[in-house]
Amino acid sequence: MRALLLVAVLPFAASAQEAVEEVVVEAPEDEANQGYSPDESQAQEPIRFTGYLDVGFAKATGNGSSFRENDTRAPLDYGNDAFAPAVNSRGEVASTDSTGRFTNGFLPRSVGIGSTPSLLLNTFSADVRVQPRNVPVFLFARLQLMPRLLPTGDVTRLELQQAFGRLSPFKAHEFAVFLGRFDSVFGIEYLENEANLRLGITPSLTARYTTGHGLGAKAFYRVQVASLWSAFSVNVAGTTNGTRIEALVPVSASLTGAVVGSARLGYELNLQKVQVKLGVSGLYGPRNDIRVGAAKQLAIAGDLRVNAFGFSLAGEMLRLIDERGAGALKVTGTTQAELASGFQVTGGWARLGYTLPFTTPAFTGATLYVRYDRRHGQFEGFTQLQTDRLTGGVRVDLFEVLALKAELLLNRELAGAPLVDNDVFTSSAVFTW
Amino acid sequence: MHALLLVVVMAGPKGVDAGVQLGEQLPLALLVKSPEELEYKAVTERQYLLVTLLVGAKSAWDRNDWESAATKWEAVLRLPNLPPDVDEAVKRFAKVARERAGGQASSLPALSAAVAEPVVTITPMEAEASKPSTLTVTGVVQGGGSHGPGGAVVVLRRVTGQTPKPKPARVRAVVQKDKRFVPHVLAVPLGATVEFRNEDDFFHNVFSISKPNDFDLGLYKSGAQREQVFSTAGPVNLLCNIHSQMGGWLYVSDSPWFAQADAQGRFSVKAVPPGKWELEVWHEWASQTVKQVVTVAQGMADVSVTIDGDRRAPAFVPDKSGKPRQPQLGY
Repeated sequence: MRALLLVAVLPFAASAQEAVEEVVVEAPEDEANQGYSPDESQAQEPIRFTGYLDVGFAKATGNGSSFRENDTRAPLDYGNDAFAPAVNSRGEVASTDSTGRFTNGFLPRSVGIGSTPSLLLNTFSADVRVQPRNVPVFLFARLQLMPRLLPTGDVTRLELQQAFGRLSPFKAHEFAVFLGRFDSVFGIEYLENEANLRLGITPSLTARYTTGHGLGAKAFYRVQVASLWSAFSVNVAGTTNGTRIEALVPVSASLTGAVVGSARLGYELNLQKVQVKLGVSGLYGPRNDIRVGAAKQLAIAGDLRVNAFGFSLAGEMLRLIDERGAGALKVTGTTQAELASGFQVTGGWARLGYTLPFTTPAFTGATLYVRYDRRHGQFEGFTQLQTDRLTGGVRVDLFEVLALKAELLLNRELAGAPLVDNDVFTSSAVFTW
Repeated sequence: MHALLLVVVMAGPKGVDAGVQLGEQLPLALLVKSPEELEYKAVTERQYLLVTLLVGAKSAWDRNDWESAATKWEAVLRLPNLPPDVDEAVKRFAKVARERAGGQASSLPALSAAVAEPVVTITPMEAEASKPSTLTVTGVVQGGGSHGPGGAVVVLRRVTGQTPKPKPARVRAVVQKDKRFVPHVLAVPLGATVEFRNEDDFFHNVFSISKPNDFDLGLYKSGAQREQVFSTAGPVNLLCNIHSQMGGWLYVSDSPWFAQADAQGRFSVKAVPPGKWELEVWHEWASQTVKQVVTVAQGMADVSVTIDGDRRAPAFVPDKSGKPRQPQLGY
């Protein structure tokens, strides 16, 4: 009997446990499993309708305003309303009782409403995007219902905020030309000037100077430097009215007929886990809210954004000067003033945010943030107003369509205005479609 | 997985046909003229049966035919006086195979040591020989809204027991061309290495913030390519940090049995072992996947699945830090 059985287990027995736990099967090779690409007709929708609805709540401490009821020194411009939230860029709560002197439920209507919460429709915004196939043209229009924004304060205003065509003539270059009415190119806050984009609720103390919509032409060009994971960009615009919001300088006000130039030079560092964006902006041109062309407006700003490991840091510094228009009538978006005094403002803001590192299909994000704003503004012949604000808040996103926000604003008058109790709690629900 | 190598070296008495082919039939056609030769035949048949069962079980295991594998290994374990090393190695596999076959992995019945000759027959093996070990599951996905069902990913997972993991594979590249990801949707097995190739004349980036498969391959020039391994199952939204209009999808399958629907929604999943399976369909434009149980058997009808097309394109496309980009700006 010389039957010999060699059962060589190489190295079968030793790896048996591993094999039991990690069974792998090769997926069958199949041409049908090599992916799917829709044809052109399904690749993109040539027309899209999007938009959002923003409903806000606000309650102020004290009398609800940074000015006393009978304080006649209050410059009218501070009653205006950037982005139309329930809290204006000064940090004051809008009143639902807007039948007043000049504007939109803020000063002076808001004086004394500290104990009366406001629940307001902030904005209803509807966009249409048209992108014909195989044509390097993009058409865009944004229509906004902006309650309270009319000189009498009684009537809701429907505003064509943007309407432009964008031409991207070169496939191989990031170059685009815009014609029409469009976003500012100055600074960075215009990138968040809609409630569904904005992390918080209240715009910064300097938003009113940088986030207006110009009528004219602009161009964007960006070049990538792959070896440095970097990009350089330039945004240049020639518009009728500079970069201030509609309420300060209406888009139709081009009283000198001359163009206001603005531009931003940008640098981006796009590492895998860290992104840094830096920019400097400038603006120069006639005031255009008066008929005296010799009076100029000029501004310069620097901005910074850093995103890393869930943290985001953003900030902007601004210096803006309006030269005096001697004997000129000044036209704003809400009224006319007999005196076009000189004006200058220095301000800035910095915001630190942290986005929680987990999401679910229903819970699509939550970000905590804190922001500090400061503005020193002075009309020629008036006392300089020094204001600062500390804002803390949270934004929670649900189902990719609903943003719930809440924030607390600690407002302080540092100089030039009486120190009054006007801290504000505000919240906002933004539904995007 | 390491291969099992069985080497049988047999030296028999004179008269044994050296050219005899191992088969699945017992008894062996060996001449028996003496008690010694009878004893020899018994030992040979025992070893023959052992080897046949071991090899057959392993082959069945490799083609995911758990029932056959379990039956054969259990038969091995019933053999008396099994060498301890064989006994130890086989027990683990028999247990797992039985679990995957949908049965209870209980302690195996010990046969009486008095049973000198194996009573196990190879009848089951003969019966299975006529049964196909795997089948192709075909069907149609319907729905998907205005986008249609094309690109839907169909994944089959076992209803009972663990579904084996797919073997990691190198998959054909996803190409960035004309500011599009081509293919637009690609299903890949878990652990796959996907190549991203820039076939445009300008720089591209590819990134995703679909956790936990988030990644960023940086900037790369025309003609260059990057690779990424996808080690977590689920959909992965592909984006370009430069061109906000670019979007594509990978679907990472944790099962080796998956397929993608064509433009008409037709799909076929090949080499599926018979049994009960949960069929799940994912589609780019459906907010929820659709699941149903199918029984894979010979003669089964086409599967029909309807998915929603209720998911809208997001109003804003994020950059790689997750910040929304306004599409009208183009940057």
